[in-house]
Amino acid sequence: MFRLGATQVARSAGARNYATLREIEMRLKSIKNIEKITNTMKIVASTRLNKAQRAMASSRVFNKSDSEFYANADPELPEQSKTLLIVVSSDKGLCGSIHSQISKAARRRFDELNGEVDIVTIGDKVKAQLLRTHGDQLKLSFNGVGKEAPNFTEVALIADEINALGQYDSIEVLYNKFISGVSFEPSKFSVFAAEAIEKAPGLSKYELESENTSETLAEFSLANSILSAMAEGYASEVSARRNAMDNASKNAGDMINRFTILYNRTRQAVITNELVDIITGASSLD
Amino acid sequence: MFRQAVRQVAKQSSNVVRRTYATEGSTSSDALKLSLALPHQTLYSEAEVQQVNLPSINGDLGILANHIPIVEQLRPGLLEIISKGGETEQFFVSGGIATVQPGNKLTISAIEAFKPDQFDAQAVKSLIADAQKRAASNDEVVVAEATIELEVLEALQGVAK
Repeated sequence: MFRLGATQVARSAGARNYATLREIEMRLKSIKNIEKITNTMKIVASTRLNKAQRAMASSRVFNKSDSEFYANADPELPEQSKTLLIVVSSDKGLCGSIHSQISKAARRRFDELNGEVDIVTIGDKVKAQLLRTHGDQLKLSFNGVGKEAPNFTEVALIADEINALGQYDSIEVLYNKFISGVSFEPSKFSVFAAEAIEKAPGLSKYELESENTSETLAEFSLANSILSAMAEGYASEVSARRNAMDNASKNAGDMINRFTILYNRTRQAVITNELVDIITGASSLD
Repeated sequence: MFRQAVRQVAKQSSNVVRRTYATEGSTSSDALKLSLALPHQTLYSEAEVQQVNLPSINGDLGILANHIPIVEQLRPGLLEIISKGGETEQFFVSGGIATVQPGNKLTISAIEAFKPDQFDAQAVKSLIADAQKRAASNDEVVVAEATIELEVLEALQGVAK
């Protein structure tokens, strides 16, 4: 009876200043659960990061042969060229600004090229963002990849689909370059068409025996670049997710502290109220 | 005039110095530097080797140091790497691109590479039988895929023991 009265008093007071004890308790519990989830996601991300970085390191070496060739051959782009922009990201969120940064970079590049661009996206998140502004240019999109470090088979299938889109003078692959555990940067690979390779001024440094080598090279380097882009993007995403989840866990920890103090104070207030009631009741009997 | 002569002398002496001090360095810079990379693994990274034998689509190629820059498409076959000590390391590659870059560097990007003793000859045989069955089908795509498989497998048959 007294207790009921006390909680009622507390509740009516809570309507003005404090939340009730029960409300605080529920809030506290849900924050604790969220902290558990973010903490687990952080641990998962940090265990994956090692693997992702290893995949990225080997894909960098794999791609180096191509980039050296291009650096030596130095192909030039024809004037007024039609460009294909391949924007590489992934399907999952909760990883900071990875997806919005890459779509921002894509929009910037789109404006630089005066709109003479078709877009292909890899990953649902970046597709959703680019569909809003550049829905007409979006030719093709892939999803379901990027959950793990990429393998060559899936990359070859993607490259095949992209080749089936038709001839482009140049292809640019936009991706998040992994710089360190805490930073990434939107960057791009340029892939040249077979014709551009054949006309390259530095090509005479190399001897090409068979006739269609440049075509093979163009197709192979497209697959290569997508592979590297996906491996880098995956590593950046995992490390960004780890950081985001680390921050979220820290914030949740802060909130838990604040709410625990509030909970204890409110409980103390309720107890004091009850004591006052009891003592007043007892003294009135004297 | 004098100054020029002095400079020439200076240059020569510096050359001499470099030659006497850097004998080891100069021999190592003459060696072929091999990078053999798979998409998921790096087998060699700028390692110095004696010779590399490549299975190219134009026939087999032996690459020694100071080879002219070339770009070659690989066919399924045996890649041989002869190290400086004379030991031979063999890999079966399914395909890829080999590039000799200016500066005595050979970079090979292969899709898959395994050592010959990692293959099971029995499995290869059964896979060949399977691919031959599919090569006789009516569907063009299936036939094309089966022919590519056969090409790889038949090359592999000669290697696997």
